[in-house]
Amino acid sequence: MTHIQISPGAVAPWDGRSVPERSGPGDGPPPNGAKGTGRGENLAGYLFMSPWIAGFLFLIAGPMVFSLYLSFTEYNLFEAPRWIGLRNFTDMFADPRWRQSVKVTSWYVLIGTPVKLAAALAVAMLLAQKRWGQSFYRAAFYAPSLIGASVSAAIVWRALFSDDAIVDRTQKVLGFEAGGWIGDPEMIIYALIALTVWQFGAPMVIFLAGLKQVPQELYEAAEMDGAGRRRKFFHITLPMISPVLFFNVLLETIHSFQIFGSAYIVSNGSCGPADATLVYTCYLYEQGFVNSRMGFASAMGWLLLVAVGLVTAVLFRSQKRWVHYEEGGR
Amino acid sequence: MSRNNGMDRRQLLKLAGLSAAGLGLTAAGCGSGSGGSGGPVTIRHAWWGADDRAKKVQQCVGLFEKKHPKIKVKTDFQQYPDFWKKFNTQAAGGNPPDVIQNAVTFLRKYEAKNVLLDLGPQAEKGNLDLGGFRSGLEKFAEIDGKLLGVPVGSNSMALVIDEKVYEKAGITPEAGWTWDDWYAALRKIKDGQKIAGDAGPYGVMYLYDLILRQNGKAFFTEDGMGFGEAELLPYWTEALERVEAGLYADPGKVEQIKPASATAKGLSAGEFTWDNFSVRYSAEGSSSYGLAPIPSTDGKKTGQYLGSLMLSGTARTEHPAEVATFISFMTHDPEVARIMGYDRGVPATTAQFEAFQPTDAPSKAIAAYETSIADAGVLEPITPHPAGADVIEAAFLRIGADLALGKTSPKDSVKQFFSEAKTALAAN
Repeated sequence: MTHIQISPGAVAPWDGRSVPERSGPGDGPPPNGAKGTGRGENLAGYLFMSPWIAGFLFLIAGPMVFSLYLSFTEYNLFEAPRWIGLRNFTDMFADPRWRQSVKVTSWYVLIGTPVKLAAALAVAMLLAQKRWGQSFYRAAFYAPSLIGASVSAAIVWRALFSDDAIVDRTQKVLGFEAGGWIGDPEMIIYALIALTVWQFGAPMVIFLAGLKQVPQELYEAAEMDGAGRRRKFFHITLPMISPVLFFNVLLETIHSFQIFGSAYIVSNGSCGPADATLVYTCYLYEQGFVNSRMGFASAMGWLLLVAVGLVTAVLFRSQKRWVHYEEGGR
Repeated sequence: MSRNNGMDRRQLLKLAGLSAAGLGLTAAGCGSGSGGSGGPVTIRHAWWGADDRAKKVQQCVGLFEKKHPKIKVKTDFQQYPDFWKKFNTQAAGGNPPDVIQNAVTFLRKYEAKNVLLDLGPQAEKGNLDLGGFRSGLEKFAEIDGKLLGVPVGSNSMALVIDEKVYEKAGITPEAGWTWDDWYAALRKIKDGQKIAGDAGPYGVMYLYDLILRQNGKAFFTEDGMGFGEAELLPYWTEALERVEAGLYADPGKVEQIKPASATAKGLSAGEFTWDNFSVRYSAEGSSSYGLAPIPSTDGKKTGQYLGSLMLSGTARTEHPAEVATFISFMTHDPEVARIMGYDRGVPATTAQFEAFQPTDAPSKAIAAYETSIADAGVLEPITPHPAGADVIEAAFLRIGADLALGKTSPKDSVKQFFSEAKTALAAN
């Protein structure tokens, strides 16, 4: 039983009294009053947190509120913001480049996330077996995640997928005369997707942890009943790791929506060609910092927040259908 | 026995989801003040350009500090697009560099926002020497009686050509050749040499400006666009035909070699650009490169004007006198001319022009080209571009490339361009 134990001494600066309410009968410690959590200690706790609180208020909450205000204004950084109501939003829906950015981002999220997670799960399953040298393979497969988000990896990517570079030459050997992907508006998005799939290390590690938690006796029992590998995967592995899968889907989806650096660098700062890599944040950046339309950019930012929030909410709702929690989960 | 620890952490998940979703919304500008009284004064100088320019400017700054021990200069540089993003943010935050490299596209934009320093009073006080400029260049950046910048060099649009290809094709570009002559040359190059004749001029705003000027119009008026759909639609329709015919380089390939030049990389036999850029061609490519005259509509008028990079002060500087001293030094000192060469164009003052005697072929070609167009008497005055011109220039380039890639029809491209131009003029 590894349920998290909450003892009253460990919870300051929270109010110790809330603990018994939260834990089930007989599960937590007895409601023995708040020993050593007086006002002074509360204050000390908040004082220790104050750098974080100040940072949150002034660097996150403040700018967010301000950007919400800006999203209803026209603001070029130099003149005072001018209130224009919902015009930024109506302009956005009428803007073909904005629609293009939504299209590119959706495509990236819808293709990139599932492929990446499938790759992560497949490799995790290989690495979960007991074999000699597994820790080396784990490190090797994880490595791209450490460097994948870096500028240099994106620059290398641009070189790999250009004309006459390795990808183009491999294509030629296989009989496709398609040319480099970087200059091709139809193909460049797949170079970006390949870059994100390549960084499957982080979800892989989480999958690996999940796979290790699946009780072996379930497999043994299934084998006795004559279940094959497919059946075991779909009826034991997948349901057992569904909470981990959910966690990965959620994080990777949110992460994918925020793609910026790789699109910006692989396209050499143009988010092109022909707006083929104009991901949402790229367009937001261009409107804000190149075209000086900070109001419009703020409105775009808030719309992204709402969209990601909605997707997150839908994912949470969908849990009931496919995520199986042990221990009293719904 | 349960091994599913951590499965009950949905509260944590919710938090994680929310905070991750909230990323990317916050963008904050910040700045720090500089200054102080007594002792040496520090001014900040920023410019755009590549590493070689940075080395040269740095050398000039060292020289300046030696001659003016009371003034220290802190330097900073970026590539062109990044430079303006950074400057814009700094200026909005009230902390721009004291002296910046500047161009005509940005004068009205930042004048309207009170970012630029009027150098006129400094000239009156004798901190800034406005004597000895070639062909009236000292007035180049004067807008509504304010002196918003001082040119360091002048340049002009030119057709950079791969001389070997032109020679093999048997084409000698001469002053007075027309667009029809040029198109015929493109065809000859394509048929005989199996290479595109041009990198694709459809997105080069400064070239289209010349074509418009040859026809009595201009890209910009003082406060808006100087042309309409009636002019642009046929221009872009023909451009697309030439891309498809292979007269202009394959836009997909041009895209991939950026930021290198298509002509230097052998994708085309020529391209239109500023003449001072031609210095970099021999370093980037393996052929020999020359400068050819701009074709014209009537065989006479090329519509050309002297473009110019300049140095501007910023209005919030605490040291306007030192700023003026620095600009004066950079524009007049003969040693500076010998260090900079034609990196920012042909030096703007006679003293600097005479101090640098080019010995390398590209610089000699630039000097000859500048002299030839000055002698031909084709130069016209330039109107400072309206605020938002930089955004419009970028849109013209981008939409031109989209068109060439076949992603949008000429008609939609033209519509999109004027819609973005309208937004840019309104927003800036």
